[in-house]
Amino acid sequence: MTRTTWQRLKADRYGMSGLLIVLFFTVVALSVWIGLLGQGWSEVSGNSWESISATHWFGTNLLGQDILQRTLFGAATAFEIGLIVTGFSILLGTVLGALAGWYSHSWLDEIILWLKGVLDSIPFYLFAAAVAFALQGNRWAMHLAMIITFWTTTARIVRGEVMRIKQREFIEAARAIGLPGITVVFRHVLPNTVHILLVQATIVFVVAIKTEVILSFLGLGIRDGVSWGLMLAESSQEVVAGQFGNFTAASVSLFIMLMGFNLFTDALQDALDTRRIMP
Amino acid sequence: MSAVALNVKDLSVWFETQSGRLQIVDNISFSIKAGEATGLVGESGCGKTMTAFAILGLSPASGGTVESAGIEIGGTDISTLSAVQRRRILGRDIAMVFQQPGTALDPVFTIGQQISAVHRRHAGGGRNNTRQAMLDALEQVGFGQPGKIAAAYPHELSGGMRQLAMIAMATVCKPAVLIADEPSTALDSGTQALVLQQIKRLQADHGTAILLISHDLSVIRQSCENVMVMYCGRLLEKADCQGLFSLARHPYSAGLISCIPQISALKPSGINAIPGQVPTPSALPPGCHFAPRCDRAVTRCAQSVPGFGAGSDRGSDRDVACFRPL
Repeated sequence: MTRTTWQRLKADRYGMSGLLIVLFFTVVALSVWIGLLGQGWSEVSGNSWESISATHWFGTNLLGQDILQRTLFGAATAFEIGLIVTGFSILLGTVLGALAGWYSHSWLDEIILWLKGVLDSIPFYLFAAAVAFALQGNRWAMHLAMIITFWTTTARIVRGEVMRIKQREFIEAARAIGLPGITVVFRHVLPNTVHILLVQATIVFVVAIKTEVILSFLGLGIRDGVSWGLMLAESSQEVVAGQFGNFTAASVSLFIMLMGFNLFTDALQDALDTRRIMP
Repeated sequence: MSAVALNVKDLSVWFETQSGRLQIVDNISFSIKAGEATGLVGESGCGKTMTAFAILGLSPASGGTVESAGIEIGGTDISTLSAVQRRRILGRDIAMVFQQPGTALDPVFTIGQQISAVHRRHAGGGRNNTRQAMLDALEQVGFGQPGKIAAAYPHELSGGMRQLAMIAMATVCKPAVLIADEPSTALDSGTQALVLQQIKRLQADHGTAILLISHDLSVIRQSCENVMVMYCGRLLEKADCQGLFSLARHPYSAGLISCIPQISALKPSGINAIPGQVPTPSALPPGCHFAPRCDRAVTRCAQSVPGFGAGSDRGSDRDVACFRPL
């Protein structure tokens, strides 16, 4: 990140508040991973459905587990899912999309588009269940199902963008100085899609966390540990009984985290854009 | 100073379409000596840019066919080289300056990064060496503070500065041949003069052979020793610049020259436009393509194609593809 990028980012107040939120959750997630926070997520430390108190800031759930501990652990779970799914699906989508776009209307493009079409036509939750079944309850089954299906959107966007960019004169100029095609793709085409990938990464991150909620609710999600999705699944029975502890903690945390990510990447996109004058 | 730097033999470019073959460049041959600038002039769409791309061996995006009997750069025929070998020559021995300086530079990299990339690829020799070559190239095209320009992104520069940076990029490896495709067309006349001046300097300092493509005869008159007139994919006249402007022998060349507005004309007589329109590549007239618009045309002109020297019985000191040259 150059100094000017950082300066532009610093001037964006919403972006900076987003960054603070993201940093806060990053610290929480790291603390959970190294064992400083949220370690008591599974121990029964009180009575059923205790209300907010000095020992249980967010109250307790049906089993008497501390909701704060579970919320903190859930932040780490969300981060883990978001990072893994976003990282791999964006990488896969970018590479396949770039190949399809650069060699558009070739056999390679046809194969990638066909693969994308097949994956897009399978109902996602059915697919997630199939993957979970096929992997015999492996804890990475959910991640894998998301990576396999989420790359298609990225690939479609990147393919279109690459097809647009490869018509531009600077690509011709790059070839005129003797760069081989594939080098041109990675050196000049993909860097020009970064601002789109950044937005796409946020969307995938957010969608991955949201999908985890639904999959966990369906019993296809997190196996060991707790997530905001599992908390919401628990709360579906609690809310009718007038207990909002789980529901509030999980949904408010989810909201703040996703909001923070959106604000931050939006600002980052503006700050990274060295090409405001570009059409 | 007399070695031939670029020699193009029988270059043709065509597209196969449903309605038949579209001949964009029709069997043209020419050569440029080291340290000489040759202008290629013609109306928009006559195949000038396609000629440039064909010389570089870059297939047009829409997939045309390029055929030639040889394209020699410094004695090496690059038309028969493999893609890998040719890429080693592009940018090092032959480079190109594009028409739109705004879009020919990658918007996400600084000028310095882009120029360095060319040098690193073809010359190598360590980071410091490359940086020095990059700064030198920028300084040579007339930037007083090359370090500042190197750190700038393309959008931070004006159009003229971008074109100069583009020229610096094309010349960082000191190529033997530089193809400049309408390098000054998108610029105002002051910047235009500056860009042309820098191209002339390169020619003088490094003995670079220059192919200057333009539709503007006055640009070519300012900066070239020789000129070639192109019409519908064919070369109609090859001459030294002075000769052409004092006496154009092909009626089309003469028409082009009379289109230049004359400030010295006593009476404003208007611009002498050539009657008729440029035919489209799908409906080229047989024989001489210019015949339908030519006031000297005879029956023969519409029947057979005049080659160079077709009208030599009328006395010719140069290559003119006309049966009845002026």
